[in-house]
Amino acid sequence: MAKQIVNAAPEAVTTGLVDTATQQRLERFLTYEAALMDEHQYDTWMALWEGNDIRYWVPCNDDDQDPSSGIAIIYDDRSQLEERIMRLKDKTAHAYRPQARLNRNIGGVVAVSREQDIVEVASNFVLGEIRVGVQNIWFGKCLYRLRDSGETFRLLSKKVMLLNNDEAMPNLTFLV
Amino acid sequence: MTTLIATSRDYGALIKEDRVHSAIFTDEQIFQDEMERIFHRTWLFALHESEVPKHGDFKRLQLGRFPIIATRDGDGQIQLLINRCRHRGAQVCEAMRGNAKRFQCWYHGWTYDSKGDLVGVTGAEAYDQKFDPEQHGLTRVPRVDSYRGFVFASFDEQAMDLRQYLGATLKYFDIMVDASPTGELQVKPGVVNRTRYRGNWKQVGMDGYHPHYVHMSVFKIFSKRENTTGSAVGALHLEDPFADSSSSRTRGFEYGHACLDFRAQRRPHAEQSIEDLRASDDGRRYVEDMITAHGEEHAKELIAWHGDPHLGVFPNLQLIHDHVRVVVPISPGETEVLMYPVFLKGVGDSINEKRLRAHEAFYGPAAAGSPDDAEIFERTQRGLIADADPWVLLGRGLGREEQDEDGSVAACISDETTQRAQMQEWKRLMTRR
Ligand code: FES
Ligand SMILES: [Fe+2]
Repeated sequence: MAKQIVNAAPEAVTTGLVDTATQQRLERFLTYEAALMDEHQYDTWMALWEGNDIRYWVPCNDDDQDPSSGIAIIYDDRSQLEERIMRLKDKTAHAYRPQARLNRNIGGVVAVSREQDIVEVASNFVLGEIRVGVQNIWFGKCLYRLRDSGETFRLLSKKVMLLNNDEAMPNLTFLV
Repeated sequence: MTTLIATSRDYGALIKEDRVHSAIFTDEQIFQDEMERIFHRTWLFALHESEVPKHGDFKRLQLGRFPIIATRDGDGQIQLLINRCRHRGAQVCEAMRGNAKRFQCWYHGWTYDSKGDLVGVTGAEAYDQKFDPEQHGLTRVPRVDSYRGFVFASFDEQAMDLRQYLGATLKYFDIMVDASPTGELQVKPGVVNRTRYRGNWKQVGMDGYHPHYVHMSVFKIFSKRENTTGSAVGALHLEDPFADSSSSRTRGFEYGHACLDFRAQRRPHAEQSIEDLRASDDGRRYVEDMITAHGEEHAKELIAWHGDPHLGVFPNLQLIHDHVRVVVPISPGETEVLMYPVFLKGVGDSINEKRLRAHEAFYGPAAAGSPDDAEIFERTQRGLIADADPWVLLGRGLGREEQDEDGSVAACISDETTQRAQMQEWKRLMTRR
């Protein structure tokens, strides 16, 4: 996410906070995560999350809107996220049927902090959505907290800053 | 200040007691006439006074076809000013909200203050003596009035008194305001869900018939929860408020206002709500402060009602659950819906935080409720275009309505009394000369 990258320690954007192999694993992991969202593979996506102390946050009105005194578009802990997944999979949740066809490109993957096995990663995406004959284009910046097992990563928190989060928006009927 | 577009069309024929013609949802000319005859003549909700608390605070909003700057002027008054420079018409304010004591038009530099008065003309010596700056302030919306902080506006100098217009709905405003022990609400202009759907503005009605079907996925999930008190569909674990056998009522009022009245249905849940609240310090204090402010009996019912009037004020306001909802028509087939969560003053932070989480769980573009509503409005708009059989049926429960002593017509929760009230007001305004 631009602001996080601008404000990161200088090494984050020069030599980098992670080695090349880790950078490649990070990019592959985020590409995989994006593919799961595009393909509506909700259970597999849900299994990427680790532990009970998770947060999936899509701010509203302002990228830094304080959730204790403002609303969010999504502000899920584990139980709320599990209910969201139930609804996304539910054929009687009409907004999600038919499912949107999705294609997103992710990029700008930069580790902005690292402490032992916890990595904070910024990225951004462009997402095309087609549903009932209407095409929408969404833009967003992400900030992840990930646990690195050495082999793969697990999601601890994810914040998605939609470019249009202070504009009138249509239904957001998929994962971002 | 408004002009009526002459039309030979008989709009009265489009509204029957039990049905309406689908053209009212799809026709471009009708939409233009709605702007003139409804939005530019009746009372519209503008903003809550807490959105511009201090001198210079402003917020932009839309009333009918007019972009408006709402300001708090130096005398503490709220001004509603048309956002159009009196020189050659440029918008003078581009920010959506903020604080500014002056609005400068950057086309030629004319400057207005927060009252809308023209306080600076660049190169004023080029105008002769006859040019009177006092005649060239930003145009004010001629009628502005308020009830308990809810500010309404009308472009019709002759509009009836606001209290008369709101009539028996006033006590429903009180339900929302008196959920605060100090009787004060806070609405924040920068805390709002802004959503848009491809459907007509009149789709956002008050409908007690749809929840079981449109919101089926939510009912399924809530049936798995232990406690749903205070949620957007109510205390489902205790009783289904949308069952016709429940004591919920649908109400239609004069001038098109409508309500899903859950008061009697929720009242028996007061003890459970109070018990839930007493689990926290803020909640315990809230219950005590409510009893001190309102007396035990009224405090209990206010707590049971959860500050939710479920009221629709024709044509552009709804007070639903924890939020103030504003309906902004864009075109016959496009509507913006603004949902401002309401903060209670005089309560602990955790009380408001809980209300925020309850709000965002159901309302907003990725929440559990709003997307299914928007989806069904869009499906309806696509269906309404097919007008081989053009009538939209709104006759449900016509035979079981009762006149209440407050002047409203009441019926079972799923009855289309609310829609009928709105449509009769639509007809009154659209056929008025
Ligand atoms: S249009 Fe505003 S100063 Fe000319
Ligand atoms: Fe609904």
